Amino acid sequence: MPRENPLSWRIPAVVQRYGLAVLSVAIATGVANLLYYFHVQGVEFPIFLLAVAITPWYAGTGPAIVSLVLAALAFNYYFTDPRYSLYVTLAEAPYYVVFILFSLLIAWFSALRRRVELNLLQSRDELQREVAIRTQQASLLNLTHDSIFVRDANGTITYWNRGAEELYGWKADEAVGRRTQDLLKTVFPRPFEEIHEELLRTARWEGELEKKKSDGTDVLVASRWSLERDENGNPVAILESENDISERRRREDEIRGLNLQLGRRSTELEATNKELEAFAYSISHDLRAPLRHMVGYTELLQKNAASVVDDKGRRYMTMILEAAQRMGTLIDDLLAFSRIGRAETRETMVSLEQLVKEAQNEVWQETEGRNVTWKIGPLPDLYGDRSMLKLALVNLISNAIKFTRKCQQPEIEIGCTNKRTDGVVVFIKDNGVGFDMKYVNKLFGVFQRLHRADEFEGTGIGLATVQRIIHRHGGQVWAEGQVGAGATFYLSLPKP
Amino acid sequence: MSDIGRILLVEDDPKDVELTMTALEEYNLSNEVVVASDGEEALDYLYFRGKFQRRSGENPAVLLLDLKLPKVDGLEVLEAIKSDEKLRMIPVVVLTSSREERDMVASYKLGVNAYVVKPVDFHEFVNAIKELGVFWAIINEPPPGSVRKK
Repeated sequence: MPRENPLSWRIPAVVQRYGLAVLSVAIATGVANLLYYFHVQGVEFPIFLLAVAITPWYAGTGPAIVSLVLAALAFNYYFTDPRYSLYVTLAEAPYYVVFILFSLLIAWFSALRRRVELNLLQSRDELQREVAIRTQQASLLNLTHDSIFVRDANGTITYWNRGAEELYGWKADEAVGRRTQDLLKTVFPRPFEEIHEELLRTARWEGELEKKKSDGTDVLVASRWSLERDENGNPVAILESENDISERRRREDEIRGLNLQLGRRSTELEATNKELEAFAYSISHDLRAPLRHMVGYTELLQKNAASVVDDKGRRYMTMILEAAQRMGTLIDDLLAFSRIGRAETRETMVSLEQLVKEAQNEVWQETEGRNVTWKIGPLPDLYGDRSMLKLALVNLISNAIKFTRKCQQPEIEIGCTNKRTDGVVVFIKDNGVGFDMKYVNKLFGVFQRLHRADEFEGTGIGLATVQRIIHRHGGQVWAEGQVGAGATFYLSLPKP
Repeated sequence: MSDIGRILLVEDDPKDVELTMTALEEYNLSNEVVVASDGEEALDYLYFRGKFQRRSGENPAVLLLDLKLPKVDGLEVLEAIKSDEKLRMIPVVVLTSSREERDMVASYKLGVNAYVVKPVDFHEFVNAIKELGVFWAIINEPPPGSVRKK
């Protein structure tokens, strides 16, 4: 074998092979002569046969024939009478024929045996390569977290990866050799025959299966089957790859439940909203009418009966009118407030700077005769309902003007802090009467007031309105203040 | 109150009627007012039905219409008027307590000529009524077939 011979790269193979033929016969001749010298007789024949047998083993047919011829000649020359001559008597002829036939037979067997061994070696190499590849593949299959196993046509497991170990809790050596049905107690969504029929027809199937783990707990898996057939088309193996969807199913169920609940809630909410709307509508129509009548008749009384009523009576009439007036304002504010909750928002890009200007114009009258210092910083554009945001700003600015009324040097600052990345924070700061932080949680409540009506007028709906508007935009409102040292109102709005 | 007038006031609340009349008195328009106390009566008047069977054949110069009315409400009356070829030219002014946007939008969609929210303040109320009365009954030239100034 050239591969086993370190000299092979120096001496040509053909020389090696024929050299071996010559060498083997030469050695056989030497050994036979040596034994003959020591009077060991009758072994020369098998020795030459051995030489003839060795040659085809290593060197092939050609050298085998050469060695056969050489062996016959050497045997004739040295060991048959007359010795040291190549003369062959007639009586010896069958002897040579037997020798040659026997040698040929041995050579043929030897060559055959050799070929078989070579084939065997080759097969072994191939097998090793195959095993190496398969091992690699198997270890790759082990890397995946999906459960993968193979079962043969009888349902007996032949391969079981690590994912399957993790999913079902059975080790590979426990699972291989068992039948899947016994091991996993699969519950099929439809008759197994149907599934099997589909598998045979399309060579694949997928669906959701319920199986049992080694600890007895149920697991829901998404299963994909593929069928392997042999060259005759008979099914030999089924590869199942699966992943655990119990958790997913649980979440889906949960989400479905929540959605259902949400649907119910939103129906309820819609109904409540409808009721509220009807309520507000009724207030709008019915509550105002008697109020108007109170005012109307009191006015008529004032006009027509002023002479017969004394001062006290006239004052009472004034009080009635004032009270009615206030109730009118309260109703209007309340309706406006409820409208914000009910109205649909129409969102567009809004320039806050422009909006502040407009809001200032709207409350301009309130600053008349006063020297208010305005500091308005650069303000961003944002996405929102223009009229609602303006109403919020009008309320906040109007508040700032109102609560700085008693200041010598009223100052109102409107700006934007860029501290947050998820949105903008706008602040409106004044140096007015401020408020006690103790009551900060009451600030944005409906009809909550921190000042007496004779100090600062108002219905207590303004900041509640602001809060409702900002909440509808997905933002937050908060405030900081100190008695006598002003107040700052913040509103955060999400970025578009 | 006569059967013929330039103003048809459709109002169910007698107090509102009285206050409205008081306001109109100053311009001597109160005797021009015909009052219908609900929507059905208003339509009876316009179609010469029921107690208005025998009234003269002219249309009012203006209709002051409350929205919240028993039986047939203001919007239904408005719809009936504006979809009738003979009546659609009559100017209709909605006079209501409601500031609700949907009432306003519905009224304008039906073709109302004006929409007035009754002010709570009596002076404003009187002024509003007076101006309405003067404008629609005196200044405005009513469509042909309406009651004329005597």
